Amino acid sequence: MESLENSIREVAKKLLSEKKVDLIIGYEQGTLPLRTTPCFVDKVEDVQKLVWNASCDANVSKYLVGRKGKVGIIAKGCDARSIAVFIVEKQIPRENVVIIGVPCLGLIDRRKVEAKLDGREVLEATVEDEQIRVKGEGFEFVLPKKDFICDSCLTCKHRNPPIYDVFVGEKVPETPEIDEFAEVSDFESKSAEERWTHFKEELSKCIRCYACRNVCPLCYCKVCFVDQTMPAWFGKTNDLSDTMIYHIVRAFHVAGRCVGCGACSRACPMNINLRELMKKTEKIMKDRYKYEAGVSLEEVPPLGEFKMDDSQEFIK
Amino acid sequence: MKPTQEEWNPKILAFLCNWCSYAGADLAGISRMQYPPNIRVVRVPCSGRINPYFIIKALQRGWDGVLVSGCHPGDCHYISGNLVARRRFAVLKDLLEYLGIEPGRVNFSWVSAAEGEKFANVVKDVVEKVKTLGPAERLVRG
Amino acid sequence: MKWKVVEKSKMPLLIEELTKEHEVFAPVKKKSLVSFERVSSGNETYLDFQNTKTPPKEVFFPQTEILFTYRVGKKGVEIGEAQAPKRKMVLLGVRPCDARSFVLLDKFFSSGENKDLYYLEKRKNTTTIGLACNHPLSTCFCTSIGGSPFGKEGVDLLLQNINDKYLIETVTEKGEKLIEKLPWLKDAEKADIEKTKRLSEDAEKAIRSKVSVKGVSEKLDRMFDDPVWDHIHQKCLGCGVCTFLCPTCYCFDILDEETEEGKRVRIWDSCQFPCFTLQGSGHNPRPSGKERMRQRIMHKFNYSVKNFGENFCVGCGRCVRECPVNLDIRETVEKISTRQV
Repeated sequence: MESLENSIREVAKKLLSEKKVDLIIGYEQGTLPLRTTPCFVDKVEDVQKLVWNASCDANVSKYLVGRKGKVGIIAKGCDARSIAVFIVEKQIPRENVVIIGVPCLGLIDRRKVEAKLDGREVLEATVEDEQIRVKGEGFEFVLPKKDFICDSCLTCKHRNPPIYDVFVGEKVPETPEIDEFAEVSDFESKSAEERWTHFKEELSKCIRCYACRNVCPLCYCKVCFVDQTMPAWFGKTNDLSDTMIYHIVRAFHVAGRCVGCGACSRACPMNINLRELMKKTEKIMKDRYKYEAGVSLEEVPPLGEFKMDDSQEFIK
Repeated sequence: MKPTQEEWNPKILAFLCNWCSYAGADLAGISRMQYPPNIRVVRVPCSGRINPYFIIKALQRGWDGVLVSGCHPGDCHYISGNLVARRRFAVLKDLLEYLGIEPGRVNFSWVSAAEGEKFANVVKDVVEKVKTLGPAERLVRG
Repeated sequence: MKWKVVEKSKMPLLIEELTKEHEVFAPVKKKSLVSFERVSSGNETYLDFQNTKTPPKEVFFPQTEILFTYRVGKKGVEIGEAQAPKRKMVLLGVRPCDARSFVLLDKFFSSGENKDLYYLEKRKNTTTIGLACNHPLSTCFCTSIGGSPFGKEGVDLLLQNINDKYLIETVTEKGEKLIEKLPWLKDAEKADIEKTKRLSEDAEKAIRSKVSVKGVSEKLDRMFDDPVWDHIHQKCLGCGVCTFLCPTCYCFDILDEETEEGKRVRIWDSCQFPCFTLQGSGHNPRPSGKERMRQRIMHKFNYSVKNFGENFCVGCGRCVRECPVNLDIRETVEKISTRQV
């Protein structure tokens, strides 16, 4: 990890000093254990702030939309894919972004750590290759890293960014044998009643803070559908029906564009498992249209085109 | 006041495209074909006009079922409106059913202007299915 | 001030008794989430938390509140009764920082000619039982901003955790009246009272996070056009987590919703949302994150000082812990307090 960090800083330094970019977007140390925070570096001397570790969990490609000038961006697999989606959707010109691809073996899910510690606060954490050492008031544990990896990373098929301009470090082995939709298929095997009850329970926690929407790189509409008035289609209260519809419609709007980075689930302060819903949209695209978002700069997202022989088994 | 199971009759909102399905429904009427009176029709220029919001809003407002009907692929008056819509409907239906909305609440069909009988049959099928599902409760605003 | 004591094992009983004549709101744990909910039995309550995820302001100022209903009938518009409820409530398990937030929110909701009855009635009818902090979080900075882990502002009674017992200190007359309804509570012993005083000192010393707010308000007066705002907001996503989880944020929006019956509803709103200041003309005086972030800091540490004499922050640290991008308000305030203007 450390050598990757140094290589990232070198690359950033080079790009800035050669004026290939005006700005580097990456991560720096956060103010809490197991946190990093997005970092905007425009001076060569500031590249030392950049870090790279298993807590680099924000999808920083979010900050690219609407940005002018040339930007270098540290991108793990999922981030690089969302950048590819922006390019396909013509939100950023390809030549304006320098993708600094970094291989990623998975992010630490701090909520899993919090749940394990049952409310005890982590005051210090060190992450080694296979373990996480957490220290707090009156306790010190060594946790096996593999048990605390984010769910979205456990099913990741793109540990190496599929699209990049500069690749930092060595490529890591991919995991083609993992069924990324195992959880979704499992859920589908439940009855409609069970599924409805589950989603009702999960989504009743929602406080409509829109962290999920705002952290998602693909949610870049100037005026989100919930904020539309004249007419206002759906309510903004935390009435359960309105809340569920907000999530359904957001899932529909990101369908075919969602890269499964999991940022929505990580951002939710109420620990709602939004990935469960978003992952289904990815499965629909894979099953029906053989499409995976963000791996190609040529393919158009499925809801942006049609074919004469599209599946229509559900139409009478 | 919520109707009891015996006195409940499903209310189904039907979006029919002007050029094919609406004409087909019209033909069914002119030919005096009998079909259940449970649908309320909204005429749209093309099935491609259907925004998923319409279907979701209908479910929220308490409609027991929704039917969306358009021209057969290749026959759209606007060339490709129904082809665009087809993908939208597929994703929406899959998503709603994954969430637990009962299969059979949201229905789609291709009915041409000459298919009066087909229209009547589609409505019969949909009404029968919705009758077994009971009044809509999921997603209905309290 | 009276001192009573209750064994932890008897707390469920105490809560159960309170539910007989009051609506009781207390911390409830669902999976790993602890938040305030209405409890109907003593066993649902969970008091071993550090702080709840959502602040207790939601008991007096709910996320969604129906202000009144209306019907457009033959005789014109008929307005239903305003929904300010008159029931008696007990709010149990509030940390001193959150309790202090009530004192601040009281100032806002009772200011001006039209006092907010929805909030004020609930406050009036509620006896607040605080829970002192023996172990503040590393992100707690209540002592920097006018509070303390054993603070008594905003509570009628203060529970103090001494191992297997809770001391109950009466703070107000309302608190005393509630205690009278529990005559089986024993008086606390002198040793326990001494112990809790020591715990209070230890807790204050345990606050690691110090934020210098001294002079920040005056400085902000001169900083409206300062270039510091260009960078502070860069990583902010513009969501509502910090505002919704903040015990002292009170901004709201009012909507009319119609199904068969019309409802005028008040919902939480956030100054960080892009449409917050969108005007009917289409103009938005806070068009970007820069203006909105500036607004948040100015509101909390300058405008509120001018309007109410207080910084509208209680140092609970929720915004620090829950911000999806770890934008730390403590860092922001430090930047401002050390800025040469």
